[in-house]
Order: sequence, then structure tokens, then C-alpha cells
Amino acid sequence: MPYEFDEILETIKMTEIEHFDIRTVTMGISLRDCTDRNISVVTQKIYDKITRYASRHIENAQSIERQFGISIANKRVSVTPIAIIGDSFGIEEFVRIAEALDKAALTVGIDYIAGYSALVQKGFTSGDESLIRSIPLALSTTAKVCSSVNIGSTKAGINIDAVNLMSQMIKETARLTAERDSIGCAKLVVFCNAVEDNPFVAGAFHGITEPEVVLNVGISGPGVVLDAVKSLGGGNFQELAEVIKKTVFKITRAGELIGRRVAEKNNIPFGIVDISLAPTPAEGDSIADILIAMGVEDVGGPGTTAALALLNDCVKKAGLMASSSVGGMSGAFIPVSEDQGMIRAVERGNLTLEKLEAMTSVCSVGLDMIAVPGDTPAETIAGIIADEAAIGIINDKTTAVRIIPAYGKKVGESVNYGGLLGLAPIMPVKNISCAKLLLRGGRIPAPTRSLTN
Amino acid sequence: MKTSEDRIRELALQAINELGENATEEKVRQLVGQKLATEGVSSKTSDRTGTRVILTTFGINQPGVVSTITSKLSECGCDILDISQKIMQEFYTMIMMIDLTGSTKELKDLQEEMNTIAAGLNIKIFLQHEDVFRYMHRI
Repeated sequence: MPYEFDEILETIKMTEIEHFDIRTVTMGISLRDCTDRNISVVTQKIYDKITRYASRHIENAQSIERQFGISIANKRVSVTPIAIIGDSFGIEEFVRIAEALDKAALTVGIDYIAGYSALVQKGFTSGDESLIRSIPLALSTTAKVCSSVNIGSTKAGINIDAVNLMSQMIKETARLTAERDSIGCAKLVVFCNAVEDNPFVAGAFHGITEPEVVLNVGISGPGVVLDAVKSLGGGNFQELAEVIKKTVFKITRAGELIGRRVAEKNNIPFGIVDISLAPTPAEGDSIADILIAMGVEDVGGPGTTAALALLNDCVKKAGLMASSSVGGMSGAFIPVSEDQGMIRAVERGNLTLEKLEAMTSVCSVGLDMIAVPGDTPAETIAGIIADEAAIGIINDKTTAVRIIPAYGKKVGESVNYGGLLGLAPIMPVKNISCAKLLLRGGRIPAPTRSLTN
Repeated sequence: MKTSEDRIRELALQAINELGENATEEKVRQLVGQKLATEGVSSKTSDRTGTRVILTTFGINQPGVVSTITSKLSECGCDILDISQKIMQEFYTMIMMIDLTGSTKELKDLQEEMNTIAAGLNIKIFLQHEDVFRYMHRI
């Protein structure tokens, strides 16, 4: 037998007991050739192109799932930032494009379609602004469309006007989708240093430097890492790092295999594997539980940031060795609603917004799936976004905010979406105004880090 | 991808011109297929992976487990390349490496056959392509 008994059983254990699966295979499709002056032509071109390329995406992914015995939780499509495609259009036309994307997603049967996006870190074009203003309506009239807006980058600084506008749009999206716990906000991300090949929603889009069509894959294996850390028991930090790296190496290899095979089946190029550890609301598939297994009593306590930093770094190191096509975010995600351990820590009052912010400086993204009271002022949300973006531009990393000001709800209640989006207890926000600061407007200049040439 | 798609479109246009009024969807497809073949391009996606799969089964040991599985495999024309088994108290674990080259059934159908057996004997049977183990455990 070319494989050891234990090796085969280890793989079976990962997929059957430890929830190892592929979070997503995301087909990136360029829509740059779908422009026209006539909106009906644009929506038709977009619909036709997506349904042509992705017609067998689901079927092919399912056949690879069966072949390797590893399940793929989501099949998705990302597209060129729509603001670029419809730069000459107004709000109503943009909503029609969102509806065309939704219709295409329904036709091909994918879980989400992402890329209803604008990149405005330096400033707005007229199309960018129209797209942003159309987001609340677009997200409240569609089911599968996800939106993201990049408001800052290390090279450009932070566009505070965009931060202010986005905070209003987030509030409006929450209001328009109030009857479903403000679910629109769960499909809307504000980014700093957004990456162009991210397969994870809601922030995925097909960057303008990407090829015609490409397949990216995102993995999900907190349960596997959790069991590895638990089985180590004691051991110093070097030993802990070693055991995490070995485990992540294996799951990244499997992720790359699945991505390449799905790409081959679709007869399109393979892009990247995003080695992010993405939790799910399933018990045991939690980043928080890994941190607890490392030795903190609960997430949010002192030591949490150090533990997360070690985890995040090991994920990157192992992933880099395992795949020659690492991309996307590639770290550890810490969404609140999608992680049982995080939910528990918030409910116990151990994990606060402020500690989460500190954790985002060492994890792969940012404040993710955070529910706050519905009456949180837009300026306060803008302040939270600006803080997160500041961490991003100074540390030259991707940060993001996916915040849900749950309409009509207050601390003590929760929003519940079920499925992968999970459940988020409403977190308290400090009642200290930053309106005067944010309403200065303009742009925070790029940091010295930007001057690398 | 783009080049090859453009090329196919070009060939389809040529085929339509050559066929003139006789052009039907079927004829155009045939002609494009022939042209592609002469260019050495297969219009179908090639499956470059091997045909070896790993069967893993475990559960409570009972008479007839091995024979039920192996007789189904031989009935389907599968070649068992290697087999390895461990028994711990009442539990057994067995791993087989199987070559599907001569198999009359696709992996998917074989998996369904094995699921039926597994449900009948109340055991677990997994059938996975070898590559997943190669990628995870071999550099």
C-alpha cells in the first residue's frame, strides 16, 4: 500500500468528523466586454455571459466533491466591479444590473454572486457614487447579490467621504431589509486594501487585472486545526506552531487539488487558493475554540490577540509551502455570527467590539458579521469603519467591516439568519460621538508606508 | 481559454461558409470537431488523473463484510491492487486500493453501490480518488 493506514484514516477523520470542507469554489468572470449605452443591452450581455460560463459550475463542482469525498459548501461567481461596467448609469439602472446578476445566479443555481462593487479609495467617479447610492435598493430587491466597496488603501489613504456615505448606506440597507433582521447588511462589506482574487463573499469581486475567467477556491478547516491543537495538549509555542502548520499544510493541499480539478472540469484556468480558515456555525468548526484550546479561558480575554497572531501566521506559513498559488485573504477569519465560540463569548460579555478591533490587526480581515443596535448613529458606524481602515493602511493589510445595525433591535436581542451566516447577538457600542471628526470629510492622506518605490 | 474559444468560433464560421445552405447545427458541430481533431485539439475536457481509488470501510466486525464488498467489486470489473485490514476488539477497519481501468461502472455509480451495501450492513464505506491522499500526505 503506497499510503500508511493512519494517513488514510486521518483524511477520512478530517472530512467526516472534523468538518473539513471546501468553503467555496468561486468562478471569477470578467464583465468588461458587457458595456453599452443601452441598459437593456448591458443587462442582457451580463446575463448571457454569466450563464454561458457558469452553466455547468454546480454540476462540475458536485462531480469533484463525489470523486474526492470532500464536500464543497458553496459554489459562487464573482464579477468585475459593477461600477466600472455601468459608469455612465444612474441609481435605477444599477438596480436593474443587480437584478440581472440575481437572475443569472438563480439560473445557474449558485449560492451567491459577488462584485456589485466600487473601488473609491482615492475618489468617486459619477458611476461609483450612483452604484453606492443604489446598494440599499439593490440588496433589498435581490437574494444572491453581494456588494463591497473599497474605501481605503495603503497607496491612496482613506476616502472619508466614502466612509461617511457607506455608513449611511449601511443604515439604509438595514432599514430596507428590516423584516429579515437587516440581512442586506450581511451581504455588504466595506474594505480597505481589498484583494482582487478573493473567493469569499460578501467581499469577492473579479479584479480588473484578472483574466477573462478564472476559478478560485477558499478552504475551511478550523475543526481540523482545533483537533490538532487539542491532541497536542501541552507543549511550548514552537511545538504549537509546528502542529498547526502541519495540519494547515494538508488541508491547503486538498484545497488546491479540488480547485484545480474544478477548474479543469470547467475548462478554465485555476487562479488561487485562499488559505483562510473560515469557521461555520457548526459546533467544533470554530476559530474561537482553537484560541481556547491554545489556552485562553475565553475569547476576548488578555492573550487572545497573541494566540490569534500565532494562528494566523502559521496558517500563512503552511499555506505558502503547500501551494504555489496562494492568494485572497489567506489568514484566519473571525466573523462573530458564523462561529459558535465567538457567539458564546459575546453573549457572556467577554468579547467586546474594542477587543475584536485589536484582534483584527493580526487576523486576515476585520470586523465581520457584527450586529449592533439599530439606533447606532451613522457617524459612529463611520468611525468604526475609519478605525478599521486605519489599521489596514498603516499595517498594509486588508481590513473590512461587515456591520449590521439591526433595525429596531437593541442590546440583548440577536439577529438570526441560519445557514452559513449564523446568528449574531447585538453588541453594545460606546455612546461617544465621533461626528465632528468624521464630518470634516476629505481624505486621510496615504501613510509613509505607501512610499516604497 | 479565450484563444481556444475564439478559435472554435472562427472554425464554426468557416464551417458555416463551407456548408452554405446545407448548414445544420449537427453538420457544423461535426465539421468543427473534425477541424479541431486535425489541429490536435480535443474538444472534450481531458481527464488526466489516474483511475486508482481508495476504499475505506469500518464498523462493527461481522461475517461476510469483506466478501460482500469484494464480490461487488469483482462483479463490476474492479481490480483490487492492495488490501490492508486491522481489527480492534469488535471493530474492523479495512482499506483497499482499487484500479477502475477495467470497471464497467463509473466511480459515482460504484459509490452508490457501496452506499447500498453500507446501509445494509450498518457499516461505513468511503470511495475516494487516490489523488486526495497523494496531495495531502506526499510532497
